[in-house]
Amino acid sequence: MIVYILCFILFLVGVYGVLTKKDLIKIILALSIMEYSANLFLILFAYKSGGGMPILSKGEKIQGMVDPLPQALVLTSIVIELGITAMLVAFAIRLYQKYETFDITKIRRLSG
Amino acid sequence: MKNKGMTIIVKTITRITVWLILVYGIYIILHGHLTPGGGFPGGVIIALAFLNVLLAQGREFTKNWLKMNLLHDLEATSAILYLIVGILGISFTGYFLSNFLPKGKLFNLISAGTIPVLNIIIGLKVCAGLFFVLWSLAIFHLASKEEEK
Repeated sequence: MIVYILCFILFLVGVYGVLTKKDLIKIILALSIMEYSANLFLILFAYKSGGGMPILSKGEKIQGMVDPLPQALVLTSIVIELGITAMLVAFAIRLYQKYETFDITKIRRLSG
Repeated sequence: MKNKGMTIIVKTITRITVWLILVYGIYIILHGHLTPGGGFPGGVIIALAFLNVLLAQGREFTKNWLKMNLLHDLEATSAILYLIVGILGISFTGYFLSNFLPKGKLFNLISAGTIPVLNIIIGLKVCAGLFFVLWSLAIFHLASKEEEK
């Protein structure tokens, strides 16, 4: 149970960063932390104590492996996170060209 | 383009380590059906090897070293190759992406039917795609400066 609470605390760290930081790069990093905690939650759900990895290897019998389905889901989720992060960084670079700052309190001119 | 890369120490070390990283990425792709790994992680490792070159040597060197047109074609072609392998599965057995190659022996390098082929295709796609994401972020401000002029 304690690991789920720790995982939720990691998520809250991300939420805190998104809500309070003023730097765009820090906001992107905080969003990544939230994504990691979601991945960690799925992996923790699939874990059972003493379970081995769900991969056949030479001369080994599989006895009680962890659930491989959430791991496959998390792999897809990592790919999507990569795309999200790349898009956010591109937006940040574009905003820096327009305003010459990453501070979101100074990015106010909507009409550009 | 004022970016000429880092110091000569970094350049020399990068010249050696890039090939090691490339070999490791190819190993991960080729053993995707036996060990943890596969097309996506191996492709990411290869793309990051190219990123090492981009960081150490600068944009101009990378542009000449890597044939950008070839990479562009590779990225587009690999998606179609994946589709072709899937449709070959339909024509041989009746289901999309189903196996039509001989399965081989377990734990051999050449085994598992079409899975290594698909791993290689995904590796090419991810490598080229991720490198172009990083490359376009690197040349982003140059392009928009030309736009303003």
